[in-house]
Amino acid sequence: MDVIKTQGVTKVYNPDKIPVYALNGVDINIEQGEFTAIVGPSGSGKTTLLNIIGGLDRPSDGEVFVGGQDISQLSDNQLIDFRKEYIGFVFQAYNLIPVLTAKENVEFVMLLQKRSKEERDQRVKELMDSVGLSDKLDSRPAQLSGGQQQRVAVARALAPKPTFILADEPTANLDSKSTENLLDIMARLNKEENMTFVFSTHDQRVIDRARRVVTLVDGKISHDERRD
Amino acid sequence: MIPILAWRNLWRNPTRTLVLIGAIALGVWAGLFMTGFATGMIKSYISNAIDQIVSHIQVHHPNFSEDQDVKFRLDQPDQHAAKIAEKEEVKAVVVRTLATGMISSAKGARGIRVKGISPAEESKVTGLDQKIVEGEYLAGKRKNEILISRALAEKLKVKIRSKLVLNMQDLEGEITPAAFRVVGIFHTGNKPFDEGHVFVQRKDLNRLLTLTSEGRIDPTTLGHEIALLLHDTKNIPAIQSAMAQPDWKVENYKEISPDLELYESQMGFVSTIYLSIIMLALTFGIINTMLMAVLERIRELGMLMGIGMNKLKVFLMIMLEAIFLGAVAAPIGLALGSLTIYFLGQSGLDLSMYSDSLEMYGMSPVVYFDVPSKVYWQIPVFVACTAILAALYPAYKAIKLKPVEAIRKI
Repeated sequence: MDVIKTQGVTKVYNPDKIPVYALNGVDINIEQGEFTAIVGPSGSGKTTLLNIIGGLDRPSDGEVFVGGQDISQLSDNQLIDFRKEYIGFVFQAYNLIPVLTAKENVEFVMLLQKRSKEERDQRVKELMDSVGLSDKLDSRPAQLSGGQQQRVAVARALAPKPTFILADEPTANLDSKSTENLLDIMARLNKEENMTFVFSTHDQRVIDRARRVVTLVDGKISHDERRD
Repeated sequence: MIPILAWRNLWRNPTRTLVLIGAIALGVWAGLFMTGFATGMIKSYISNAIDQIVSHIQVHHPNFSEDQDVKFRLDQPDQHAAKIAEKEEVKAVVVRTLATGMISSAKGARGIRVKGISPAEESKVTGLDQKIVEGEYLAGKRKNEILISRALAEKLKVKIRSKLVLNMQDLEGEITPAAFRVVGIFHTGNKPFDEGHVFVQRKDLNRLLTLTSEGRIDPTTLGHEIALLLHDTKNIPAIQSAMAQPDWKVENYKEISPDLELYESQMGFVSTIYLSIIMLALTFGIINTMLMAVLERIRELGMLMGIGMNKLKVFLMIMLEAIFLGAVAAPIGLALGSLTIYFLGQSGLDLSMYSDSLEMYGMSPVVYFDVPSKVYWQIPVFVACTAILAALYPAYKAIKLKPVEAIRKI
């Protein structure tokens, strides 16, 4: 089953002056349980594609279906609710809330979803165990290393039980050991929970672990390799 | 979680937050201080005017206030005064004979209002005996004793036991001269009053004014003014209406001296004016700080909206941050202000160095601070409104952010 499906997605910046095509007719289907890396040189449109799939940005043309729903038709507020319920984000710069502890960061979206305290506590414990940070529940982001922060960000993205996780260059700021550690965790979650992961990355270590590699060049898919 | 997040956001930059809290607290303190000072001044002015000049209620002949002619006298004022004094709401009553004339010494002369008083009653109504700074109060030891103020004594260059000549119109409009001897010098602290009034025994004044071409009118019946002091100003309307008579003009202190009503009504506004000005200035400080707090968190706010925090919650979070600022600062300002008001309400602020100027306006040189109780709830309302008003623009800025652009901000 397709979790994500795009049809002729185009994104044009400055359409009235000097049009710049960040995406130019991208068709992609991503199925449940995929571990997909979107790769390509800088400016190829990786982040733009991720933003459009994640409902953070709107396509200039084309359609984006997530779980069968055309998200390009949703209003800003509907998109916010949609993201909250269906999509987990992992950002390059971790983007944790610095004034909240690791535990509070992880349960934040669940609070927005109005989940019960019991459910939140159980899920936080489960996820922090899963990312190997059960001893850092009360640490603030500033007290954690980059790798640890990114693991908390993965736990946060998984907390609301999203349909898939979008990760924009998640290892860009991490050292080798932290990268391997993070990839191990994500691969395990992909395998054990059948969680769909979509990365944009330059990092060969991530590309090596991906089971599908989609290459973008100049806003178009130039290559789509499945390694199953 | 939103209140917790807002509270912790407030302390991201403790120095900046503390500076702003200090500014708001200082504003609240200044609002209380200014209100306390202004209210104290106004109350001093009003109470001085009531104590020294107008009392709570005065009764005159209906035509007397127009040209102050001695012929517009009250009928049987002492009998009426005795009845009025029986009312339990009434603290003290005095009957006065009033005349306008010229006072002269060897060194000068001035136009003057002469008040003929019964010394014992007068002391109960105006406490005149307490204001004698030299010599003694009217004792009735000999005829034609006079009390003059220190200011007038200096102008006429006279001292205790000096002789002065009073020229006044009698009931027939004839000029009646009489010599008086200074027995005491008073100082009320109200310079215009002091320079324009002298006190003599009512019986002495009546004896001079009641001699007519057809013989002497009973001097004990002459009186132009009944002045009343009540225990409580709340009873003024009731007593005033109970005293109404066709041939009497019964006026309360606000009617006699409309400036007192003006000042009294200003007491209610003074805090509003001061607080409005101070809070308006603070609004810009809060806007600036909140805007900085929003602008330096653009990426984080974008991320929050990205992961599903809706705009209403983002808006509420920013508003709450400003409200918390006020909620911390206002009690500090109120506590400091209350202590200041309490201290200066007890000991007063001594402005003796400006006493000449203050006395010109009938004010005491020591101002006892006083703040109407409503100001203590007005302040939290003002601070809350200011915080909300000041946070509106930064909060609006925050919800107008586009997550995709905000997240990319460095």
